[in-house]
Amino acid sequence: MNDSIQFLISGLTIGSIYAIVALGFVTIYSVTKVINLAQGEFVMLGGMTFFSLLKLGIPYFIAFLLTIVIVMAIGWLFEWAVIRKAKGADPLSLIILTIGTAIFIRGIAGVIWGKNSVKVEPFTNNEPLNVLGASITPQSVWVMVFMLLVVMVLYFLIEKTMLGKAFRACSVNPAAARLMAISPRKMSSLSFALSAGLGAIAGLVIAPIMFPSYDMGIMLGIKGFSASILGGLGSAPGAVIGGLLLGVIESLGAGYISSGIKDAISFGVVLMILLIRPFGLLGEKNVGKGGL
Amino acid sequence: MRKGVQSFSWKGIAVFSILIILLPFIFSSSFYITKATFAGIYTIVAVGLGLLMGFAGQISLGQAAFYGIGAYSTAILTTTYGLNPWMTLVISLAAPALLAYLLGHTMARLHGYYLAMATLAFGIVIHVLLTEWKSVTKGASGFFGIPKIELFGFTFRQGLSYYYLVWACALIVILISLNIIHSRIGRALRSIHDSEVASSAMGVDTGKYKMQVFIISSMFAGLAGWLFAHMSYSISPGSFGLNGSILFLTMVVLGGATSIWGAVCGALLISAISIVVHTAGSHVSFITSDFEQVLYGFIMMLIVIFLPQGLVPAFSSKLKKITQSSVRTNKIPTIGTVKGDQNV
Repeated sequence: MNDSIQFLISGLTIGSIYAIVALGFVTIYSVTKVINLAQGEFVMLGGMTFFSLLKLGIPYFIAFLLTIVIVMAIGWLFEWAVIRKAKGADPLSLIILTIGTAIFIRGIAGVIWGKNSVKVEPFTNNEPLNVLGASITPQSVWVMVFMLLVVMVLYFLIEKTMLGKAFRACSVNPAAARLMAISPRKMSSLSFALSAGLGAIAGLVIAPIMFPSYDMGIMLGIKGFSASILGGLGSAPGAVIGGLLLGVIESLGAGYISSGIKDAISFGVVLMILLIRPFGLLGEKNVGKGGL
Repeated sequence: MRKGVQSFSWKGIAVFSILIILLPFIFSSSFYITKATFAGIYTIVAVGLGLLMGFAGQISLGQAAFYGIGAYSTAILTTTYGLNPWMTLVISLAAPALLAYLLGHTMARLHGYYLAMATLAFGIVIHVLLTEWKSVTKGASGFFGIPKIELFGFTFRQGLSYYYLVWACALIVILISLNIIHSRIGRALRSIHDSEVASSAMGVDTGKYKMQVFIISSMFAGLAGWLFAHMSYSISPGSFGLNGSILFLTMVVLGGATSIWGAVCGALLISAISIVVHTAGSHVSFITSDFEQVLYGFIMMLIVIFLPQGLVPAFSSKLKKITQSSVRTNKIPTIGTVKGDQNV
């Protein structure tokens, strides 16, 4: 019993990260219909930048905010320098483009930060808490709190603000949006910056648990992608459910079967779910073909 | 849109074969021969992936898995069970084909990004199994002591003889692929590529053709795996992971997915780049294998942005504009541009 609660909690912790990454996918996809497979690299950049800023002696909280700003700027730059140049490319090419960028960013990160993983201090003291016989580190709690915060802020942003309305307008019909004085270009840039920010937050909160390294992005990106596919591409609630589900499956698989094959288990489940529901759990039938 | 179906030409094949035969006499050091042998193995995988991407319009982010299955099938059967490599060749072709057939049923229902996800997941599952199924695959350290291929008492060791064996296989694969795209399947696939709905309305069984190409491309990858296993003394899961799949993808994107020769050129160019990086790396400390990865990433970005069709189709259409004649560049069987709303 203790074991299963322990596995569940670690699953929800990592699942929260997957959920935030998946929300990043959804944010970009819903505005631009691009799947950004470099999303995981934003998470890596978040963790590594945070480490470097702390090492420079910048106070914890300021380093936290600065990291988000820096990674958002990189996301914006990425859209401006790469994605925008490939306007009109078909989805197949866009996938390849973002894979190429991911490899490129990872390589540069390897040059800057080296091969070794780094260590970041946790947000608060690191005494494990005891919940129902299982121990949770405070950082795990922070991860889940941040996931909830991100979901709430994103919901507020998309549903209640003008910016969110503009986002949705571009998603539905870019040409009509332009007639309403909304610039789809600007929205595209903003969606990349926003999703880079989400990635950075995921990287920041996971850094004390995961020991970030230059090559952590690829797996996180793929997991986030599968979480958003699992939930149904383009659906924000789907992304959260998909992320948490994937985290829990992985953690239970690692705990009860073998930690070596946890990835095989989680991706096997993704394959199976796609077999039953080819458009994800909460996806609509037409979403699967969205833009393709 | 293209006018008519281009006829099949032997000229390109002949010129290419002569180049292949002559190459070892120009670059005779064993380093270059080994690299050129690898280029041949990559060519086989890339041509298969090119068929899948450029002609069936399907993306595969897990092609290295089929390559790995081909390699491991023969490695396990020849070392653990002592079978003859020629017998295991059948398994190395059949096992990927069977898996592709099973996976193809899943994929038949998937479109676009969902399809990309499925192949990605498949590739990762296979890679994890190769690493973790220790009783069969010997785990992360991999297999060693894979026997060499023999034919009529002649042993193909690494070097010149293996180079010719690999390229003979590659030429056969290229020939088969050229034949496929100039046949009924090829025409059907081209119509699917332009509009799946219209071609199924014309009575083209889209699912069937896509499945056939998927199986063929997996068999090519299996063949390449078989050749790779018997070339090297040992194999480990590292060669068959996501990086491998992305490398194959890079080759196809670089050369151009809509042309068989594009995939060949892509494989050759990537191999050439790796030689250059390797040579430069021995002089400059900053250039390492990671630098190679950065370079591949950068190449992918540049190609998608500036030459979305890839090198060969782009240059062949340029060439056509320059010559302004009706002389058909039979050497390069391109198909319609990779634009529009086809399924990925």
